Amino acid sequence: MLVVGLAFWALLFGLSFRVLKYFQSVEVIGELLAHHLLGMILMVFFSLLIFSHIIAALSNLYLSSDLELCHACPARLEEVFLSRAIYTVIDSSWMVIVFGLPVMMAYGVVFKPGFGFYVSLSHMGLGVTLIAGSLGILITMILVRIFPAQRTRDVTLLLGVCGLGALYMMFRLLRPERLVDPDAFFTIAQYMAALQGPDSPYLPTHWMTETLWAYLSRSSEKEALFQSSLLWSTVGALTVINVWVAEAIYFSGFSKAQEAKRRRAGKRLLDFLGALIKRPFSTELGAIIDKDLRAFFRDNTQWSQLLLLGALVVVYVYNFSVLPLDKSPIRIEFLQNEIAFFNVGLAGFVLSAVSVRFIFPAVSSEGPAFWIVQSSPVPLKRFLWTKFAFYLFPMLVLGEVLIVLTNHLLEVTPFMMALSTGTMFLAVFGIVALGVGMGAMYPNFNHQNIAQVATGFGGLMFMIHSAAFVAFIVVLEAGPVYVLFMADLRGAAVSGWQWVLIALCFSAVLFLMTAAVYKPMKMGLKALSRCE
Amino acid sequence: MIKLIHLTKTYRELRAVDDLNLEVKEGTLFGFLGPNGAGKTTTIKMMAGVLKPTSGSVLINGMDLAEEPERVKKCIGFIPDRPYLYEKLTGAEFLKFIAGLYAMDHASSVQTRIQDLLELFDLTHWRDELIESYSHGMKQRLVMCSALLPQPKVLIVDEPMVGLDPRGARLVKDIFVEESLKKTTIFMSTHSLEVAAEVCREIAIIQAGKIIARGSSEELRKAAGVDGSLESVFLKLTEGKRIAHATPLSAS
Repeated sequence: MLVVGLAFWALLFGLSFRVLKYFQSVEVIGELLAHHLLGMILMVFFSLLIFSHIIAALSNLYLSSDLELCHACPARLEEVFLSRAIYTVIDSSWMVIVFGLPVMMAYGVVFKPGFGFYVSLSHMGLGVTLIAGSLGILITMILVRIFPAQRTRDVTLLLGVCGLGALYMMFRLLRPERLVDPDAFFTIAQYMAALQGPDSPYLPTHWMTETLWAYLSRSSEKEALFQSSLLWSTVGALTVINVWVAEAIYFSGFSKAQEAKRRRAGKRLLDFLGALIKRPFSTELGAIIDKDLRAFFRDNTQWSQLLLLGALVVVYVYNFSVLPLDKSPIRIEFLQNEIAFFNVGLAGFVLSAVSVRFIFPAVSSEGPAFWIVQSSPVPLKRFLWTKFAFYLFPMLVLGEVLIVLTNHLLEVTPFMMALSTGTMFLAVFGIVALGVGMGAMYPNFNHQNIAQVATGFGGLMFMIHSAAFVAFIVVLEAGPVYVLFMADLRGAAVSGWQWVLIALCFSAVLFLMTAAVYKPMKMGLKALSRCE
Repeated sequence: MIKLIHLTKTYRELRAVDDLNLEVKEGTLFGFLGPNGAGKTTTIKMMAGVLKPTSGSVLINGMDLAEEPERVKKCIGFIPDRPYLYEKLTGAEFLKFIAGLYAMDHASSVQTRIQDLLELFDLTHWRDELIESYSHGMKQRLVMCSALLPQPKVLIVDEPMVGLDPRGARLVKDIFVEESLKKTTIFMSTHSLEVAAEVCREIAIIQAGKIIARGSSEELRKAAGVDGSLESVFLKLTEGKRIAHATPLSAS
């Protein structure tokens, strides 16, 4: 995990370094872009920090199981509140800071500012984190005052996921890549207007951006001092306000959170869906599918991610509609079909990413209630294949939608359309089996949150295997596809030896896909049978 | 109805269950007593098919659990010590799910049985609430409903009284006695000596993975040479290995 973390860190640093170096080389607007990018990055981190503080504050201040003990202790309410608030800030900000560091370091390496930059980065970074923390905790206390804490988590998560989805789509549809291509704008005024991001002199990120930029551009340090004072006085004021608000409403909110647990379930739609989906299956398998369906749609942390998935599909397809194929020196017909072929691999990676979140945790989602399946007369083998069947159909739909829509936009040949849809159809079987099987090999029935399962070691192993599986398919098919496509394009015949090679490659693909279905399922079953 | 033959379970160096041999006849309400860590839950989990024995076998209704797990499990109802359930299902949905796992196909009779069991365990008003909003005792009662739903021949129960209020505990004791009169064999581990003395026809005491005594309450008193309550018998029998080994196993 450490190696993966370091690799990601290095990648982020390398990417930021190249972007900033490029900006530095662009005359007139290069510095402007670097300044603007710094503001945007800090704004994104600030928003993420507020959101993660809201989620963490709900757990740490209202829902955590050790809170009853804390409140029963002979400590003052402010002490309990402050200790939990500090824990919340540490708990929810370390990751954003860790992943923000390589970007900031890249600024340091490219612009070579003085020692003051690093001092300002440390203390202003802390200040902005504390402001985000205070705002997140304040929002949480107010939300719990309005809704019960159990509901607040659902409402916040739902709003957060919708917000992230909308933000992602909005960002993509703005086509930020055009900013580095001023030719795409009619006038310089239009270009400058496009550069104006959501900024305000009242935002803490503005204060931090201006302070850091003062060092990076070696301009007046007096400006930096003024912005620092603004930031730290806001930190002090928000801390005091938080303690006042906590004294007034924190304990009553905590008490309310303990009461509001009775929940009625929405049933009619799920009854209808359950009856529809389980129809082709036997009674035992139908029961498992029906249970999984209800559990999925009643868990707001699960189904709400479908919204993000929807946004992902829209942006994925949109990217293909704006590909500048006409600007390429390569023949357009060849390029369209080449992209369509590699799109099978790309869509396969997208499906792997979706599977690690939804399918890999399928076995672990049984949680500590797994004893029910173990002690029931349903064999574990049938249980595992039921999980496979449950996820196969939606994944097939997703995979084919990605392929067919993008192929349609690329206007590919019928041969390429048939090949890519067929390959995707079979690859989905392998990806789903890898997800279910490896999920059974690395089960975690004692998770606090199902999202943790996907981010563990097993999830990483699944991603590596699934990505390798997709890559192998693309590599094995690349040769035959090139031969067949070029023969078709030139109107030439395929030789006997080439047919043998093509047959061998496609046989190897079929073998690989069959192995990807049976091997992980078998290994998963073996591991699950040993599970105690 | 239940036969444990040389049943052994080891965790690394620890022998949790050590060469256990036991037979329980049909319709018996059998109490399984022992101090903490004696091997009660491990034995019960192996009998329910949740844990694989290191060696030995479990025979239920004449069938070997290792050889015919599905057929054996169809005869068993299992009630674990901690009622972990699917929190996002309602009580009624959970019972329907269990009916599905046991392939109980006849929808109308299943519905009637679910309704009857919910009524019996005083859960009718909570049938459409999510299980996550149930108290510990309610979850425990729902697990009992689910164990009785397929009308098992053998009921394997681990610490059934934990988390139950006095009314719930009374209800459970009455139901177990009634079920055993209907020829259901009940194998129940408990810490509560009162419960064991009150309802169990036969009792076995396990210590360090071995059965050290077995018989009716009266037979155990005689074996221990104690004339008082079952508590004093239990304390006497489990106080040290010297006495434990000296205890006759004639009843088994």
